[in-house]
Amino acid sequence: MTRRISRRGALAGIGLAVGSAGCAGRARNIAGREGSSQLVLKIRTTPADEDPNGIRIARSLAENLAAVGIDARVETMNGTDLHRTVLLNHDFDVYVGQYTEVLPFDPDVLYGLTHSRFTAEAGWQNPFGFTDLDVDDLLEKQRAAGGPDRPEVVSELQRSVCEKQPFTVVAFPDALAAARTDRFVGWEMGPPISASGLLGMDYVDEGTEDDGEPVTLRLATTDGRISVNRNPIAAEYRRYGTFMSMLYDRLAIADDGTSVPWLARGWEWLGPETLELELRESTWHDGEPLTAADVAFTYAFLRDTSMGNAESPVPAPQFRGRGSIVKSALPVDDSTVRLVVDETDETVAERALQVPILPKHVWSERAEPATVGGFEFDIETTEALVTANENPVGSGPVRFVESTPGERVVFERNPDHFLVRDGSADAGSVDDDESTEDAGSDGNRTDSATEDGGGGSVPERFLGKPAFDRLEVAIVGSDVEAVQWVADGYADGTASNLGPDSVPRIGRESDTRLVSTRSAAFYYVGYNARRAPLSNPRFRGIVASLLDKATVVDDAFAGYARPASTPLAASTEWVPDDLEWDADRDADPVHPFRGEDGSVDVAEAREAFREIGYRFDESDRLLARDQ
Amino acid sequence: MNPLLPVVTNVLFWVAAMCLVAGVAIIGPRRLYGVGGNLVPYLRESRREVAVLLAVLVVSGVGRPALQSVSEVFGLRLTGAILALEGDFVAWLQGTFQSPRLTLYFSSVYVFGYAFLLVFPFIAYAALPNSTTLKRLIVAYTLNYAIGLVLYTVVLAYGPRNVMPDAVTSLLYTFNPNFQTLTGEVNVETNVFPSLHTSLSVTVATFAALTREEYPAWTPIAWWIAGSVVVSTMYLGIHWLTDVVFGTALALGCVYAAYWYVDPNEGGGVDDSESDDSESDDSESDDSEPESGETNA
Repeated sequence: MTRRISRRGALAGIGLAVGSAGCAGRARNIAGREGSSQLVLKIRTTPADEDPNGIRIARSLAENLAAVGIDARVETMNGTDLHRTVLLNHDFDVYVGQYTEVLPFDPDVLYGLTHSRFTAEAGWQNPFGFTDLDVDDLLEKQRAAGGPDRPEVVSELQRSVCEKQPFTVVAFPDALAAARTDRFVGWEMGPPISASGLLGMDYVDEGTEDDGEPVTLRLATTDGRISVNRNPIAAEYRRYGTFMSMLYDRLAIADDGTSVPWLARGWEWLGPETLELELRESTWHDGEPLTAADVAFTYAFLRDTSMGNAESPVPAPQFRGRGSIVKSALPVDDSTVRLVVDETDETVAERALQVPILPKHVWSERAEPATVGGFEFDIETTEALVTANENPVGSGPVRFVESTPGERVVFERNPDHFLVRDGSADAGSVDDDESTEDAGSDGNRTDSATEDGGGGSVPERFLGKPAFDRLEVAIVGSDVEAVQWVADGYADGTASNLGPDSVPRIGRESDTRLVSTRSAAFYYVGYNARRAPLSNPRFRGIVASLLDKATVVDDAFAGYARPASTPLAASTEWVPDDLEWDADRDADPVHPFRGEDGSVDVAEAREAFREIGYRFDESDRLLARDQ
Repeated sequence: MNPLLPVVTNVLFWVAAMCLVAGVAIIGPRRLYGVGGNLVPYLRESRREVAVLLAVLVVSGVGRPALQSVSEVFGLRLTGAILALEGDFVAWLQGTFQSPRLTLYFSSVYVFGYAFLLVFPFIAYAALPNSTTLKRLIVAYTLNYAIGLVLYTVVLAYGPRNVMPDAVTSLLYTFNPNFQTLTGEVNVETNVFPSLHTSLSVTVATFAALTREEYPAWTPIAWWIAGSVVVSTMYLGIHWLTDVVFGTALALGCVYAAYWYVDPNEGGGVDDSESDDSESDDSESDDSEPESGETNA
């Protein structure tokens, strides 16, 4: 019996075989075994029009996987679909995505991304289904570890994550934008894809637009999701949350790596586990006052959007990692709220303050189970998660005006916001409707930042801001088109990723500048660890070593990115030496590329797969059990 | 404010100019003059067909977001299958022939040539002494759009420029990004299967072949432009070869159906006896025929 026959042939023979009783059992033993066939990996990402970089990473990885003998297929889908299938439904093999935070972040980000307690939840919390006891342990430790001990724990955590590769960090892109500086300046202060970047901008008053026309900042983006859905917790519709952060205030914001008070005037530790915050006087866009009850509601709501109505909690798909730091929130009086946290490092606890505060009077009604035409669909979904929130009621420095799906969205400056209030009071301006005044009075504002300081104060550059009366966001087809809008004067700047086709165009246009700022929103390859063989960390490690990050940075990003190994590479103070990008060899320190200059060393890669127990058939296809 | 208006104005201007020149050269001044008189009665005769065409266009315009949502939820995602079927053909085509001149040529053909190709037959067939051909054209356009709309909803696929940006450049939009503002108004990026640029161009070319007796000069022109449009869809990285093949099949099917539906017994031209109801028209067309031939010669 040395001659092999195909499984199909074997099955066909069963009919004959069962005739003789002795043979029947034998036939079952053979045919009853599941066969193996070539491993198929589908790599999901967005099309080039939507994001010019992700698809290039996916193509490059697919090419190398195919060379080794894996049937890798790239599937393009729009951002909403991608997030829906990956984050909410966990229906994917591999995907290429971009992390959501543009500004450097605290290592506690990894808690939300990789802690096994989140594997069953839908959303940004551990979409990979990664479960590892050591990593869980280190994640808890880094939260609890006080000041001096924390760096060592965080280093250990990064080593563990880099080795096990729940996702492969590819590169940290430069946040590129095409911008005109004839009307607005300050583009380089922060990326125009971040709320703080947009708020920090200044208007160049040339006296030409003083004819009653509102001062309008016009942006062009390829991401049309903001025009159809303005729900701050709907993970499938959010990218960086830029406009959401301007609509919804947070208690504190990240600025230069520290938390600075925002909606909170300041805070005080009452003990190792209790934080008391004093809120600024503020109102919602619909005129209702913002109180401590709204803050308490928000933390409870992020934990369970059904507010106890469902049989088991329905957590929000965003802000879960940092929301989980807060155990409970209690209003003390209208403007004071007390947060109870586990024994936690102070910087970690302050990260919990960076969630959008939601109005209780709007969102408490959305704790009901979601229905379509009166029918309940799924007990695990609440109205809050599926509502488009078309008329967002926030408390932020801009408020929503109107939108045409797929075309544009218009916001306006919120004159009641504390930035405007404090800014104009400070500048001694009587007329706080005149926003040109604010830009002009820039010099007067340097002496005292703000009067209501408390534990800290709002950075000066935000006082009296935003510098625009209106913010118009136009939705365009591609990065190239967005750049052309800026060049032709239809927009002041671009607010989505630019790729290698659009960057050279900026140089050719005289009025347009390339603005480049560093971004912490790294590109990565995510694996579904719920599915074999991606559940095997050794397998993921070899896949990671088939991606030539250095070449991808040169080709896909035209050099405007830095290859990296650890997700914390933008927060350099946290990265141990042994995880820094190996500049001499231009290689990943943990899983260096198996090959040279983009072309993979096929023999070596196959040998690596064989060593960890995988097999290849006679046509060099990597075999996997039929799923 | 956005670049849409200037782009649309530009296209309208050039299409009008081309129609005028082609009208004089191909249809001939006298028959062209007759268009004014024919148009209203012809459209009245074809009011049902025109109404259906308008209905399809309205559905396509107004209902597109809704159909797009349906497509996203239930549509067949065929990008991968198409890629597996034809491989790197489009990348090869672009990589082999790409040059700035060809990009200029094909971009112009894709936008201006195509618009002209679609509009001109309306004028040409309205100049004919009876309405049959015009009616068939309207029916064929309607079928193209209607079937295209259904397929767009059923199939969700991205074009080569979106799927393999490392190998296929989005040449039309890098040549003139404002064209994307224009096409963005008309279509969605996931609507690539089949290529309606191909199917409508081939429809016009097929009509041109079937009516070559009437407009002998138009046939080669229509074929040239239609051929260029078909190649341009792939050269510019917008469509797959598969889209083009299906678009061509769709076109031939639609023309066949239009002939079958409108006066099936009548041939391609106006020489048949049925059209002799209005004698003056007939004699006029007899006069003008050699004349138009001379103009073209």
